[in-house]
Amino acid sequence: MQNNQEPLLRVEHLCQYFKTGRSEFKAVDDVSFDIQKGEVFGLVGESGCGKTTTGRTIIKLYTATSGNVYFKGIRIGAGIRSYQNAIKKARDTYGKKLQSAQGEERERLQKELNDVIAAQQKEIKAARYDQKNCDREFVEANVNACREEYAEKLRHASEAEKPALLKEQKAALRKAKNTKMVTRIQMIYQDPIASLDPRMTVREIIAEGLKIQGERDEHVISEKVYRMLEMVGLVREHASRYPHEFSGGQRQRIGVARAIIMEPDLIIADEPVSALDVSVQAQVINLLNDLRRDLGLTILFIAHDLSVVKYFSDRIGVMYFGKMVELAPSDELFLNPLHPYTRALLSAIPLPDPLYEKNRRRIVYNPLAEHDYTTDLPSMREIKPGHFVHCNDKEYQDYLKVLK
Amino acid sequence: MDKKLQVQGLTISFKTSNGKVQAVRGIDFDLMKGETLAIVGESGSGKSVTSKAILGILAPNALIEGGEIIYDGKDLLKISEDEFHKIRGDKIAMIFQDPMSSLNPIVKIGRQLTEAMILKGRARQRESRAALNGSLKRLSKAMTSALAADDPAKAKDIQHKIRDFNRFEYKHLALESDYNKAHDAAEEAATLIGVLDFELEKDAARDIKDRVGRINRLSEQSVHDYVVKERAEELRELLKKLPAAVRNGADHHGFLRELLKKTGEILHEALAKEAPNFFTMGYYLTFSGQPLPQGSVDEMNAQMRKYLDDHFMLDFISDAKEGLRYSAGQAYAQKDRCVYDLEKARSVFARDSLDKKECRETLKRLTKEVESSIDRLELEKDTLAYTFSTALQSEIERYFSSIVKNAKEEKRFAGQTAKRERLVSRGRTPEWEVAPKSITDLEAVKRDIQKQLDQLAEHYRDELARRDERDYEAEAVAFIDALKADASGVVNRITKSMAKEKAIKLMEEVGIPEPRKRYNQYPFEFSGGMRQRIVIAIALAANPDILICDEPTTALDVTIQAQILELINDLKRERRLSVIFITHDLGVVANMADRIAVMYAGKIVEYGTAEDVFYHSAHPYTWALLSSMPDLDTNEKLDAIPGTPPNMIYPPAGDAFAPRNKYAMQIDFERQPPMFRISDTHYAATWLLHPDAPKVEPPQAIQDRIARMNEKREMQHAE
Repeated sequence: MQNNQEPLLRVEHLCQYFKTGRSEFKAVDDVSFDIQKGEVFGLVGESGCGKTTTGRTIIKLYTATSGNVYFKGIRIGAGIRSYQNAIKKARDTYGKKLQSAQGEERERLQKELNDVIAAQQKEIKAARYDQKNCDREFVEANVNACREEYAEKLRHASEAEKPALLKEQKAALRKAKNTKMVTRIQMIYQDPIASLDPRMTVREIIAEGLKIQGERDEHVISEKVYRMLEMVGLVREHASRYPHEFSGGQRQRIGVARAIIMEPDLIIADEPVSALDVSVQAQVINLLNDLRRDLGLTILFIAHDLSVVKYFSDRIGVMYFGKMVELAPSDELFLNPLHPYTRALLSAIPLPDPLYEKNRRRIVYNPLAEHDYTTDLPSMREIKPGHFVHCNDKEYQDYLKVLK
Repeated sequence: MDKKLQVQGLTISFKTSNGKVQAVRGIDFDLMKGETLAIVGESGSGKSVTSKAILGILAPNALIEGGEIIYDGKDLLKISEDEFHKIRGDKIAMIFQDPMSSLNPIVKIGRQLTEAMILKGRARQRESRAALNGSLKRLSKAMTSALAADDPAKAKDIQHKIRDFNRFEYKHLALESDYNKAHDAAEEAATLIGVLDFELEKDAARDIKDRVGRINRLSEQSVHDYVVKERAEELRELLKKLPAAVRNGADHHGFLRELLKKTGEILHEALAKEAPNFFTMGYYLTFSGQPLPQGSVDEMNAQMRKYLDDHFMLDFISDAKEGLRYSAGQAYAQKDRCVYDLEKARSVFARDSLDKKECRETLKRLTKEVESSIDRLELEKDTLAYTFSTALQSEIERYFSSIVKNAKEEKRFAGQTAKRERLVSRGRTPEWEVAPKSITDLEAVKRDIQKQLDQLAEHYRDELARRDERDYEAEAVAFIDALKADASGVVNRITKSMAKEKAIKLMEEVGIPEPRKRYNQYPFEFSGGMRQRIVIAIALAANPDILICDEPTTALDVTIQAQILELINDLKRERRLSVIFITHDLGVVANMADRIAVMYAGKIVEYGTAEDVFYHSAHPYTWALLSSMPDLDTNEKLDAIPGTPPNMIYPPAGDAFAPRNKYAMQIDFERQPPMFRISDTHYAATWLLHPDAPKVEPPQAIQDRIARMNEKREMQHAE
């Protein structure tokens, strides 16, 4: 991935903590990765390791605790915890020095401390602003572009055309106002039964996003819905039916149609095939593959089934208890799994081969026995171009030896 | 290997408002002892329905239209609900798909684990009491009729004997359960001492005080006449010193270990001792009025045995023998008459059209006859005689209801055909087809009725021929043993604490750490994998022979799935379980299954060992399943199965998979393929196996995969 292009999505040191009574639960802890345009990025790990939370934080269903999410170079999500921690740390260290210091020295230290705090507070303010108003500039730019376009058109138009144009301008402006940055990211959910409202027809479900965006022309909506239905392998007649009339695979197709009607740049697919039968899984995976090729979609694919992820993704990130432990191109990951958790995960995949299966030895991952992080703290390191592992210095050297 | 379960021609439909859904359409399979049979298929293929039929928990709108499920010589589709109670959960247990919804969220794990044990324990107690009282009453009646028909003194003597037996049997059980409690306590204390000693040596012991307290209590409980009696004083002295040794702290671990070692020695010595025969002791203590004889356990047993035999047992056995002989004789006389009547009744059911009134009267008469021909003192119940009247009745009712139904069906068919023809003649092509006539073959029903009669008559003739071979003496002893077993069922009921100990052992067995702490937690405090382990523990609580796993890992992720599968495999090996494993994921099955049945649209389409199905699969549906699933080396486009399974309200006339099958031939749409034999273990239902069919190779993806696997295996061998 050595290109200078700005990645479509960049996630930096993302943390998402949940309050549970007195303590905090670190669902996602310092996760960084980026996704280039047009690629499929797989996120795997066992249930409860924070992969779904990562997806939901990116799409801003949760407010990030710390870290930044950049989408097309614009910061759409930002947490403030890291800056708060920096202020706290500065207060602690300077506080001790201040107690012992005298006279000028003391004043100098006080000033330094104030500078640090001011700088961090500025960051916090910026983060809060971005978190809340990331769409504002995008919307304003859109609206302005729209205005200019129509001003130009109006100037050249004849008197007779003007009322129609004005009406068109109004609709276009409304749409521009309601089009948000985050709608360029769409999500496909795991459970096709629970994620579709049983009281809405398929047409209403698929068109809901468009309506929120301000599209009021029923004819346009219908046309678009029909096009989407055909794109995902359903037929026009299905539009007036209700979700319960469909099989599991067809329902998941409706979920896909609902996502792609917004013409997103990025799709977050949260275990889209886990709840489906094996034969239907293949249908949905083939569909996603076709759409990716035809529409140039970028997909963040979250799943726990490694054979599916391997088949579908260009790069894979392995998560374990909120941490990203290994990140590599998919062939590389399966060829040279380095982190012990990745190896444990790979050894658990069942294969359709009874002779092999009956002798398969599962590796058990026990973090306490595998790592000694008492003195030497681990971090994400690049072992090979594009292949990152969460390890400390000693392990880094070991892994390098393994690769040779 | 013996067959544990046999399913033959099972056919199940569901009544719905839209029509009859044919969920299972005539499937056959066997389950051997200690093997895993996997049933694989898409949702809606009827695999869960099959398993529910085996457990007798089908939804109320289910219609069992035919076939049989033979377990332990009985047809599970015909037995009564009461009999099913003894099998369901006890002999055949089930693990459900979703551990979240199969556990009650507001009840603690411990209670959910012990609930069935306690309830079943109570039910068993009630049952045993009824059985014991009934048997004693019948025996006394038979003995009186046989020996004392006109001798009131003798009759009274017999009644006394029965009462005495009852009395000392209870004494025996009380003695035995006391002994067992003390023995168990000693055993547990000895194990705990062993563990603690090991930890003290390694310097890794925690909660020493609590555990020494527990050892103290258990050792106290183990002081019993036949467990720790001689050395009770010595043991008590040691136990008194233990708490002080704990209080004195870590420096004195050596001293503590010394004390524990001595205590352990005493307990081990006690455990090695042989237990006396409590049955004879019960009689001796109740009636002799003397203290127990002295001497070694063997001497004591011999002396008490002699006393029992001289005063009671030999007499009782000979009396019981006479009673049994009398009862059997009565039954034989009746059976003789029955055979004659059954043969006579045959003509009633052989007529061209049966007469309703006559049939019912015959049924009534035969029922009465057969009922009285059953020897109620027989230990092994004659299933055929017991179920005869219900089976015959259902066949007769089926005949008469079919007459009505057939008439309606003919009318419907005629009406619909006429309507269709009318439409066609007007030049329109209706979208609907006329559903074919579903008419019951009345002749076949009649033949079934006669078969019932012939079966029983044949069976009775057999019995009558063998009447001289019976050994009534052995039967009397067996009968008394059965009485003893019933009595123990009355006395030894499962208490809450016993159930708890058993539950904790089970939790350990399924791999739950710290079971004592976990016992008091709620389901939400467990992770998905742990929850599924609890569900497995509940299923194992009654020590079943057959375990049905209905998609046990579908809701779990890969690593947990691997753990649960390993657990089921280990338990299967340890307990010699037979497992029916239901899943839609062929990948899971490769690891578990000895044999695989692939189901589609209510039929088994392929059936064979795991190797047969994975390496030499023959049915296009199996090919489709295998190639629609990506593995780690798949790069090309997946072969998804197009379309959806057929609507089972109108099952297709031909092979149900034909519309989605790219290898389908014309005959596939017209006629159902029979099961073709490929090898002794491998069968498949597809016309492609017919000698006249064109030769078709499995899809390239599968061939490639098998080649790849072989290559890998050879590489490993080379290494």
